[in-house]
Amino acid sequence: MKRLNKIIFLSVLVSVGLGLSVIESSIPLPVTIPGAKLGLSNMVVLVTLVLFGFKEGLIVSGLKSIVLMLITGSLSSFIYSFSGALLSCIVMALSYKFLSKIFSLIGISILGALAHNFAQVSVASLMIKNLRIFTYLPFLMLTSLFTGYFVGLSSIYIIKNLKKSFKILIQ
Amino acid sequence: MTKGDKILIIVVIFFTVISLGFIKRQALSNDGKYISIQVDGKEIKKIIFDKNIEGKTFPIETEYGYNLVEIGNEKVRVIEASCPDQIDVKQGYISKIGETIVCLPNRLVVEIKGMDIDQEIDIMNH
Repeated sequence: MKRLNKIIFLSVLVSVGLGLSVIESSIPLPVTIPGAKLGLSNMVVLVTLVLFGFKEGLIVSGLKSIVLMLITGSLSSFIYSFSGALLSCIVMALSYKFLSKIFSLIGISILGALAHNFAQVSVASLMIKNLRIFTYLPFLMLTSLFTGYFVGLSSIYIIKNLKKSFKILIQ
Repeated sequence: MTKGDKILIIVVIFFTVISLGFIKRQALSNDGKYISIQVDGKEIKKIIFDKNIEGKTFPIETEYGYNLVEIGNEKVRVIEASCPDQIDVKQGYISKIGETIVCLPNRLVVEIKGMDIDQEIDIMNH
């Protein structure tokens, strides 16, 4: 029963992340930087990492990118988002495990957003075989500060409430 | 929000500002652009920006008319023209890639072009 609960909860998290991804693509940003996005679905990955652990977080973020590819149907954006999701998940898990005394979830989420951008830009520069695209990274980093901050802030509240209401589910 | 978070944010902002300044300087000193002077659709002159040709003028005399092009510091303008409306003279300097001065009566186009347009990214989708 425990296992079934966990599977259901993880799949709900994945679908919440998908919903957030679809919604955030229709929210206009005040600045037009290609590749800059709110990263709302990062919230789901962060929550999973904290509540369940590294393996589950990796599963959720990977599944989210794969199913998002099936929804949007663009393979090139899948490569970007998958690499970004993978690296940001690893970085967030490591920093949560070892640096959680120094950083709160806000800092961890900012680190994850930075890793996401870094992976995306690296993959993009590999694909178009041009290193000059790295000049783009500072802009993305600046936006990831803001988005990472708010993602972290909301994750703190989500985790607080989830722990309260799903005490039986999450041990 | 712990102390570490604040330090992280400050470090990232610091790094971003420094790299932005670096990139901007790089972009300014980068002579990846050149002036292309076209008459009747054909490129008759290609001028790469250089300190030595700063302030020099190039007369363009063709069967359609006469224009005098002056090169500035990373910018270019038309200072004399034989055309009646003088729109190209009034336009002043252009400096960015893609900007053009057009003198329609003389069929003259002064355009700033990038060296490697084909390497620019068209579109990025996420």
